[in-house]
Amino acid sequence: MSVAGLQVTHLSKRFGKKVAVQDVSFSVQPNEFFCLLGPSGCGKTTILRMIGGLLMPDTGRVALNGRDITFDPPEKRDINIVFQNYALFPHMTVYDNIAFGPRRQGWPEDRIRREVGRLLDIAHLAGYERKYPRQLSGGEQQRVALLRALITRPQVLLLDEPLGALDLKIRQQLQLELINIQDAFHITFIYVTHDQSEALAMGDRIAVMNQGRILQIGDPRTIYEAPVNRFVAYFIGNTNLFEGTVQEVVGAQARVAVPEVGDVWGVCPHGAQALRPGLAVTLSIRPEKIHISRHEPRQEGWNRVAGVVQDIIYLGVSTEYIVRLGQGPTVRVFTQNLRPNGDHAEAITWDDPVWVAWRPAHALILPD
Amino acid sequence: MTVAASSPQPEAPRRRAQWRYWLGQYAGLLANLTPPLLYLLAFFYAPMSILLVMSFWKSGYMTLRPGFTLENYITFFTTPVYLKALSNTFFIATGTMLALIVVAYPIAFYLARMRPRYERLILYLLIIPVEINFLIRIFAWKIALGRSGIINSALMAAGLIREPLGFLLYSKFAVGLVLMHEWLPYVVIPVYLALKGIPPEIIAAARSLGASRWDVFWHIVLPLSVPGLFASFVLVYIPMLGEFAVPALVGGPSGYMLGNVIENQFLSAGNWGLGSAIGFILLTVTLALVALVVKVAGVEKLL
Repeated sequence: MSVAGLQVTHLSKRFGKKVAVQDVSFSVQPNEFFCLLGPSGCGKTTILRMIGGLLMPDTGRVALNGRDITFDPPEKRDINIVFQNYALFPHMTVYDNIAFGPRRQGWPEDRIRREVGRLLDIAHLAGYERKYPRQLSGGEQQRVALLRALITRPQVLLLDEPLGALDLKIRQQLQLELINIQDAFHITFIYVTHDQSEALAMGDRIAVMNQGRILQIGDPRTIYEAPVNRFVAYFIGNTNLFEGTVQEVVGAQARVAVPEVGDVWGVCPHGAQALRPGLAVTLSIRPEKIHISRHEPRQEGWNRVAGVVQDIIYLGVSTEYIVRLGQGPTVRVFTQNLRPNGDHAEAITWDDPVWVAWRPAHALILPD
Repeated sequence: MTVAASSPQPEAPRRRAQWRYWLGQYAGLLANLTPPLLYLLAFFYAPMSILLVMSFWKSGYMTLRPGFTLENYITFFTTPVYLKALSNTFFIATGTMLALIVVAYPIAFYLARMRPRYERLILYLLIIPVEINFLIRIFAWKIALGRSGIINSALMAAGLIREPLGFLLYSKFAVGLVLMHEWLPYVVIPVYLALKGIPPEIIAAARSLGASRWDVFWHIVLPLSVPGLFASFVLVYIPMLGEFAVPALVGGPSGYMLGNVIENQFLSAGNWGLGSAIGFILLTVTLALVALVVKVAGVEKLL
């Protein structure tokens, strides 16, 4: 009864009194790009180490293609690891580093030479064979580390924040290269990161973690547009959070009273069944989904609130307005800079009275 | 018309500025380096040069005649007892060094993996004996190793031997054992530091790439501890080659080393020329050996 891919079931691990991972289960399909996303210390690296065999779980199982590998030593698993600090062998050349895995598997040397040369070509590192790691830039070192882990074609590659130590431009370039390599090699990637934009850009699916638990697993769009709770909404991207109390439930929508703002119509992304009047909830409204205007908007059924522009932040691709709603909280609004001078069509400026408006479908009602 | 051409800088202030810059860059270095350099020059390089010159003088018992002769060097290489001392020296130092590495490496290896609390305790235990006076330690060994010493008495009482073991004291074995005791921390600590400096991710990466524990040790840990081994080699092997106190006290007739010969030439035989020549022979061989080790171990790659 072999099940393809990697299955993690009820995995738990504690270090002394601290629970690092608590009852985590998920499965990863063959060739999937799976991201474990969470703040530092959330347990994502601990999960990775248990999958890689560097750490034994207290309870739970890890299975690869239906075979239990929970207690196999790392060298017996068809799983390789790429680390944030590259972990290249400093006393070996690029060639010897990449050849390390094949040599352990007893490849003939001429096959190793051919394959290393081919991989170095693919990674734009031709001619680097005899260099030592310390002679390479960070991006080059990470490419070598990747090739070293890929050359033996493991079934699963674990990547522990592999781009975390690199500059933004190189990081973006390597993100693309990683996706291409994953496509070309047909290898399952499990990618740990605390950078939500990296996870959104690369992952087929993302598991959002906090405090040792997985909160939500889904494709990037679902994670972003339909978070299951306040933490996921807050951790992924930017959002405006308001606390309020449910007043009435009408079909899929509900009216939530937010102090100092007024009544807001919203939806619960995972069904309105749990909502009932009197329930304390959090509203999440993404800044790019809010319209800002000097005139009262006329759209039927939209939420609308009057406010005053408190700050304007020019970000190149967009402009962020921070609007104070009455005497109450502020709300962030993003507008795209479509005009050459970057100004908003209506030339909104500091201290202007404005209206902000958004659809009920974009005000997500989340349990705390 | 460019700005530079229209207003040439006045020469004198520019040169003053340059001088001030130079002084600012190098004055501190100069002030710090001059005293030790002068000290070394007066008390090391000057006497060494005098000895080097003297080694080519015609020399006999309490006599020294300036000139140039290779007589002292020829004497050394044609006198069996001196050559025996040379071979003794390298035999004892090399054997002790190898034994030290064999004993020290596992200590360093486990020390580098220990919980910090125990790590510190064991480091203290290693270092404390070094603080004990060197002569007291040697005499303690004499008591332990002698014909009626603790070891022989214990073995005889246990009925394991009938006669006391003679090789325990006044032998090459005794010299090696006492030297090991003296130098053990100086081998353990550099190796321990080198092992401690290996990032755990490197080991993990090697394991995930299919390396067994033995592969990891052989291909990763051992090569990466070479700088530590080299440091302890320089720290321990070279002083051991010049050792004279330990062989004088526990070496007996079979355990004497070149240091004893040199000491003897200067302090008893009064033949300073020959003593200097032997000293320089030892120095030359030592430097050649260090160069060889650097070349073979490829230490410059790692440093």
